Amino acid sequence: MHNLRTVMRFEIIRTLKKKAFWIMAFGFPVMISFIFGIVIMSNVSTEQAAKDLEKQKFSIQVTDDSHLIKSELLTAFGGTSATSKSAAIDAVKSGSLDAYFYYPANLTDGQIEVYAKDVGIFDNGRYTGVAKALLSASVESSVDANTKTIVRDSTKGKVITYRNGVEFDPAQQMILPGLFLVLFYLLIAFFGNQMLTSTTEEKENRVIEMLLTTVEARTLIIGKIYSLIILAMVQGMIIIVPAITGYFLFRDRLNLPDLDLSSLPVDPLRIAAAAVIFIASFLLFTGIMVAIGAAVPTAKEASGFIGIIMMLIFGPLYAVSLFISAPDSPLVRFLTLFPFTAPIPMLLRNAVGNLELWETLAGILILIVSAIVIMLIAVRIFRYGALEYTRKLSLREIFGRS
Amino acid sequence: MVIFTTLHVACEYRKILVARPGWGLLFICATLNSMKSIISIKNFAMTFGKTEVIKDLSFDVQRGETFGLLGSNGSGKTTTIRALLGIYIPTAGELLIDGKPYSVGGGVKLGYLPEERGLYKKESVIDTMVYFGQLKGLSRDEARQQSLAFLERVKLGDKAKTRLDKLSGGQQQKIQLGITVLGDPELLILDEPTKGFDPVNRRLLMDIIEDHQKRGATVVMITHQMEEVEQLCDRIILLKDGKARAYGTIAEVRKKFAGKSLDDIFVSVYGDENNEEADHA
Repeated sequence: MHNLRTVMRFEIIRTLKKKAFWIMAFGFPVMISFIFGIVIMSNVSTEQAAKDLEKQKFSIQVTDDSHLIKSELLTAFGGTSATSKSAAIDAVKSGSLDAYFYYPANLTDGQIEVYAKDVGIFDNGRYTGVAKALLSASVESSVDANTKTIVRDSTKGKVITYRNGVEFDPAQQMILPGLFLVLFYLLIAFFGNQMLTSTTEEKENRVIEMLLTTVEARTLIIGKIYSLIILAMVQGMIIIVPAITGYFLFRDRLNLPDLDLSSLPVDPLRIAAAAVIFIASFLLFTGIMVAIGAAVPTAKEASGFIGIIMMLIFGPLYAVSLFISAPDSPLVRFLTLFPFTAPIPMLLRNAVGNLELWETLAGILILIVSAIVIMLIAVRIFRYGALEYTRKLSLREIFGRS
Repeated sequence: MVIFTTLHVACEYRKILVARPGWGLLFICATLNSMKSIISIKNFAMTFGKTEVIKDLSFDVQRGETFGLLGSNGSGKTTTIRALLGIYIPTAGELLIDGKPYSVGGGVKLGYLPEERGLYKKESVIDTMVYFGQLKGLSRDEARQQSLAFLERVKLGDKAKTRLDKLSGGQQQKIQLGITVLGDPELLILDEPTKGFDPVNRRLLMDIIEDHQKRGATVVMITHQMEEVEQLCDRIILLKDGKARAYGTIAEVRKKFAGKSLDDIFVSVYGDENNEEADHA
């Protein structure tokens, strides 16, 4: 294994030199930033439009059959009471009046009628905005603060739940262990291809024969896996750091919930379990991808295998509600302990808090043993499939050799 | 390690000499012979599926000699080398380098130029050469120094930082040869080293091989170029259908074939095959 560091260094540096790595690495944060940017711009423009509306002064006449509009507010909005509906509409038609609002007696069934001078498709909406704002302000001015809060549907609720006599908030408890689930999903989604091509590249370049007489297959594969883990950490940081920075910088503008980190519950056991499950799952997945890459002549021919593996690993996401509501069901137990489906159920159930201790230990053991076995198989496939430049290696050929 | 091996060998001799004096003498001869041989292949057979590619092949390569492994396409030359280097697992027989099956870092400094040419195409020339140099046990500085010296020698000094896929096929082949000779190997195995080279570069390559011969390296060449064989090789083996048809020094082989040139010997050995095929037809 004396060449391990050399292999790792070479693999890491050459990957970091690839444009594709950085495009992939920054692709997600850039895409998210772009979406958030649009949300921020939208929020800003809405706020700006509201401010502009406040500043706008145009001639208004109002007929209020609902008797809800306050005259002092109408004056503040720059409006007056209309003598008659038809006269006001005629004034709008002739251009001597900008807008006329009619509030019917029954606002539940009826609707506010707005007659106004055309100012373009985008600006015509301002009349309805003013009409509604005048009505809301009038209603709110006649009720107390509590009623106003209820009317705005902005009442807050506080729920305190207990488990084993101790205050326990399942939603808050799952945040930190749940981060590993999100990270696992993102890394596999963005890094799977990199794992696959790390072994097919040598075959496609025909460099493998020279390599195998210079470095042991095991050293090469382990070096590649370690370097992939380091690169995945780089990728993870590229996702996490902008996400955290963005949260604190743009929390208010994006109307994101205010997360009080100081009150976030920290369950060291569950977080440690999540970390171990994450690492073992990542190793297993890396081993599988490396093995597939070693067995096929080119990355293109791996798509069939990749599809099956992805289905096994991410398929359990479709049964999320089952993992939460029926953790004791045989199907959930099977999916939790079957190595190829285990990562998502284990990470999810650990985050939710319904993964029992024996399941945690057994699941971790199964994942680690499976990862080691898969890696040994990957080395074997790489070793014996090395010179199969044009065809896939059969299972009989892989395991049939002494 | 050397002391331990010497003591071990001495003990074995003593046991055998005491038990069977006649056998002991044979054992000493065999051991001395194997100490002289850097490559020893005995009763090697290789089967792919139902096809028997090599049949009971035995030969050895002496330390410091240049050995030619000859034969037409499909005669089993590359298979023999791949089995010798542990890339293929032999169906039967014993293939040893320096007295033991080849393993990476197993003691012998090996330089292998495979038949399948290829490099990391997206990497620069110098990065690739330094990587392989380090894998062969050189320090980063040593690998860099030796790589640059080789590039100067083959007139590619200005291409050190060029990406490999920007080089011509011949230039890439030179780089691959450079990687093969990095670390001053004591055993060079070259599978059709001059394939695709023009006469000028072929001459350059032959000079490089001769340099390594002079430094005491053992060279095993797989080639179809009889001119190269006559110029460089001390001994040869000629394979046909996985069997040795001729084996010995060039003079011995020529004597066996009534003084014919190597070209004529090659044609006569493989001509028989054509005649046999014609007879069967």
